[in-house]
Amino acid sequence: MADITTSKPATGDMNLNIGKILLEGRAFFALVVIIVVFSFLSPVYFSANNFLIMSSHVAIFGLLAIGMLLVILNGGIDLSVGSTLGLSGVVAGFLMQGIELPSAGVILYPPVWAVVVLTVLLGAFVGAVNGVLIAFFRVPAFVATLGMLYVARGVALLMTNGLTYNNLGGAEALGNTGFDWLGFNRIAGVPIGVIILALVALAIGLVLIRTAFGRWLYASGGNERAAELSGVPTRGVKISVYVLSGVCAAIAGLVLSSQLTSAGPTAGTTYELTAIAAVVIGGAALTGGRGNVRGTMLGAFVIGFLSDGLVIIGVSAYWQTVFTGAVIVLAVLLNSLQYGRAGR
Amino acid sequence: MNLFKRTILASVLALPFMAQAAMADGLISIIVNDPSNPYWLAEGNVAKATAEKLGYSANVGAHKGDTNTESNLVDTAITNQAKAIILDPANADGSIGAVKKAVDAGIPVFIINAEINQTGLAKAQLVSNNAQGAALGAMAWVDAMGDKGSYVELFGAPSDNNAQTRSNGFETVLSQYPGLEKKAQEVANWDRTQGYNKMQSMLQANPDINGVISGNDEMALGAIAALKEAGKLDGKVIGGFDGSPDAVAAVKAGELTYTVLQPVAIFAKDAVQQADYFINTGKLKVTEEKQLFDCILIDSSILDVYSFVGPFQLDR
Repeated sequence: MADITTSKPATGDMNLNIGKILLEGRAFFALVVIIVVFSFLSPVYFSANNFLIMSSHVAIFGLLAIGMLLVILNGGIDLSVGSTLGLSGVVAGFLMQGIELPSAGVILYPPVWAVVVLTVLLGAFVGAVNGVLIAFFRVPAFVATLGMLYVARGVALLMTNGLTYNNLGGAEALGNTGFDWLGFNRIAGVPIGVIILALVALAIGLVLIRTAFGRWLYASGGNERAAELSGVPTRGVKISVYVLSGVCAAIAGLVLSSQLTSAGPTAGTTYELTAIAAVVIGGAALTGGRGNVRGTMLGAFVIGFLSDGLVIIGVSAYWQTVFTGAVIVLAVLLNSLQYGRAGR
Repeated sequence: MNLFKRTILASVLALPFMAQAAMADGLISIIVNDPSNPYWLAEGNVAKATAEKLGYSANVGAHKGDTNTESNLVDTAITNQAKAIILDPANADGSIGAVKKAVDAGIPVFIINAEINQTGLAKAQLVSNNAQGAALGAMAWVDAMGDKGSYVELFGAPSDNNAQTRSNGFETVLSQYPGLEKKAQEVANWDRTQGYNKMQSMLQANPDINGVISGNDEMALGAIAALKEAGKLDGKVIGGFDGSPDAVAAVKAGELTYTVLQPVAIFAKDAVQQADYFINTGKLKVTEEKQLFDCILIDSSILDVYSFVGPFQLDR
């Protein structure tokens, strides 16, 4: 069993069966179909600028989906990513407003890099709490992260009293300008959010394929007991994936609040579901051990390009919801076809 | 007969061309909150119908209170080269960035229904006059109740400025009558289920109240359900706010004493007309940015005279 699952990521072999190619590359073909159809329906869809804008929309969900992929590969689920995203944005907004130290009578304005580091650490901490609860206290992942969903959202609301931090631009005199750089600037015409997504995807992709950690992750996701008996530190792996998922959510929160130049406590509500959908469309199995970064990225782009395309051609909001749901169910249907055929 | 058929055929065939001609004036992007609520559905529908009547094509998007979705929808409107954006903002502070983006792209933005906390960005902000509506409702409530009695108040979501504005409006009027005693006030977040639960709890503590005043219709309808279940609905004075189709039906049925109609259909239409004027002339039709629209009292005597042509659309 462990054999079958560990050999899975290497699947790039010479099988030329057309049906299989269509099935394996379904997210890719779906993306091509979406682009072609919407380009026909709207004259403005097919342009470099629109693709870049849509990609910057995808970046938020894409970052969450990469973290979610790691957790799902491990056979778990992380329902707290949307709330962690919201909390991270709020904490970043809070830090940008300055930390008042009543005892010293001063207000500290941390520079932007410190805000970014602290926020990412917060994401890691939230993930670590999830991981420890699941790995050591044997709380089911669904329940532990569901609890965290409420706790993180509640803390974000507490910190802001339900209001929104505005004006994250910082001030020249305080030396904390540049926060909006993350969301607004472009390098060689590409939005920073998209570049961050590409870097994270590349890094995690390499980790999965090239490192021992990646092999441990696939092994323990395929059959945890077998992996443990073969000497894989399954608990460490489990905690790490939740930490990484929290970090991804925190990065997404930073990019989002930077794009909007405001941080609201309700940001990211239900985004965990979109992230799960992207992972599933990308061909990962919710039971763990199967899936890769490339598929998940394609899944995120399918969802993003579809929803933006529907908005551009002016389909009613009700139909958009129906279409998105149908695509997700179709993807899972194809999953069970594929894995049913492969035989477990 | 043959000629008749041909005429019909010709006119049917010509329809798409007429539609094409109508599209020639460009696109108006309408962004509303959540069309699963009839209030915002009506807002989007009225704005769209007005835009199409004026010869534009119109898209209705929904951000469902999420500033990220809102920002994406504004991006899409920019991509679509919209001539104007009609926006019901998701958040008084959080929507400023999205509006800025549209303004930077040279697209005029007309805000409806809720305000943003920055002036000088949008061409206009058209909202209901909640203070006037609350006073209007409270006066109708006193008319029905007389100057003696006890009541409870259902309060909307505290994060929404309108909840406080409406409550203040009620208070201003009702506090002038020393015989009216407020027994309790509960937050029910604009929600029918919460209105029902909170009303049941308040009835336990205050079984003898004579009336309920509510910050919106949904909470009032929840309270009616709770009173019905307790067998205490008869003779109670209950006031709502919004003028939703359910509330209008309840007024007709004699369960709800009155509701206050928010002029959503009026300002949605007006916003599109102002946008049209601006697109054609480059000038503002109304120079003031913040424009308040008065609410209208709906009770059984009004419904005898006027009727609704659609949700929130009173035919006067």
